[in-house]
Amino acid sequence: MPAARLLRILTRLENEDGAGPAPARLCAVCADVMAMTGAGIMLMSGDVARGSVCSSNRVSALMEDLQYTLGEGPCVDAYGQDRPVLEPDLAGAGGSRWVAFSPPAVAAGAGAVFGFPMRVGAIRIGALNMYRDHAGPLDDEQYADGIVLAGVAARAVLGMQADASPGMLGAELEFGSDFRFVVHQASGMVSAQLDVTVTEALVRMRAFAFANDRPLATVAEDVVARRLRFC
Amino acid sequence: MPNEALLVHTLVKLAESLVDDFDVVELLSLLADRCVDVLGVSAAGVMLVAPEGDLRVIASSSEAMRVVELFELQADEGPCLDCFASGEAVLNQDLTTVDGRWARFAPVAVDAGFRAAHALPMRLRGSVIGALNLFSRDECVLSAENVAAGQALAAVATIAILQQRVVSEARTLNDQLNTALTSRVVIEQAKGVMAERTGLSMPAAFEAMRKYARDNNLRLADVAGHVIDKTLAPGVINPAAHLS
Repeated sequence: MPAARLLRILTRLENEDGAGPAPARLCAVCADVMAMTGAGIMLMSGDVARGSVCSSNRVSALMEDLQYTLGEGPCVDAYGQDRPVLEPDLAGAGGSRWVAFSPPAVAAGAGAVFGFPMRVGAIRIGALNMYRDHAGPLDDEQYADGIVLAGVAARAVLGMQADASPGMLGAELEFGSDFRFVVHQASGMVSAQLDVTVTEALVRMRAFAFANDRPLATVAEDVVARRLRFC
Repeated sequence: MPNEALLVHTLVKLAESLVDDFDVVELLSLLADRCVDVLGVSAAGVMLVAPEGDLRVIASSSEAMRVVELFELQADEGPCLDCFASGEAVLNQDLTTVDGRWARFAPVAVDAGFRAAHALPMRLRGSVIGALNLFSRDECVLSAENVAAGQALAAVATIAILQQRVVSEARTLNDQLNTALTSRVVIEQAKGVMAERTGLSMPAAFEAMRKYARDNNLRLADVAGHVIDKTLAPGVINPAAHLS
């Protein structure tokens, strides 16, 4: 076991023990350890993205929204294939890798993206989503750090669920994470507006978001704020 | 190595590196070694309280039998036990002059060549789960800086223990997380349906469902599910509101 590497990463996690929600601090540590411009943690189950435990900046949040909405991207692949997914040049050679995800990610400022599956033993919980604002690969040290860091983050996230009341989300997750409840609220509203199932309502919202080149989350916010109606 | 063998070797190494091989004992042994280097003490050990309530050594900086025994003796008395009981650091204890405070432990420690002892609590959300135990061969007064560094190391050890606890419960925790999320998604969707049909705000829609669940002795998640599958009308949940 890479004990020295793990000790360095846990020490960094301990140093981050300050004010603010635990998920945000975890993300900040991930970005810092890997020398990334931004980092985020996506929870996944089956083939479905379930939400974001944290995003260290707006661009990371956008990239998670894109993967959540489009179902493609480095985290989706890293989780689905159960191995790290590295794209050192998203705008160049990597441009055709994720046809729908790459252009908006590049436009938002992502030069290189890296996804590491998050696992505790055989239990797969999601993926660590990281980007840099310039192209360039990970070196061997960073790659090895990513492997260990993904494990630390996975255990930390499950640890946040450990003291939860039965049937409820752990407090640190409830108050510190964004599980995109606004999207589900909006799905409910649109399902009532169109008299369709919530699943169909979500499809309609996604189509609208895609056609108007807007993140799904902002479309959902407009629906909930009653600025946008489907009929 | 021939190419095929090299390829297999590389693939096996890659697979191994992806397996969760979190070894808390190896990590804490390294941490104990780090204490010796960083704090200028002679030996360090991590002691944890077992489910039965007694203190047990989980890792130490030295495998020398006498040192390990010293840690184990502290299950009955010594700086570690006092630290654990009080939740406070026990610092700068001169083992040659403790005046019967640890009548069995102190002479054995002095006999093993140690002069000074310290113990720093490992705290987890208000409870003490163990202690970081330090020994010196010379008279040792830890500087304030070293005490702070020692407490940081104790905190890292605590994080490691927390991480290790998750490993054995990972499947259950992940299932609970996903179940909780699924149930929340249904509740949020139902809030949306209620808000649209009744004109209520999201918080008011939530309150209406919660009250209905309480008044009718139902689970909120079940009420939400019935709103979604249309077996329960928003107007029933909130009869006072305007229906669209």
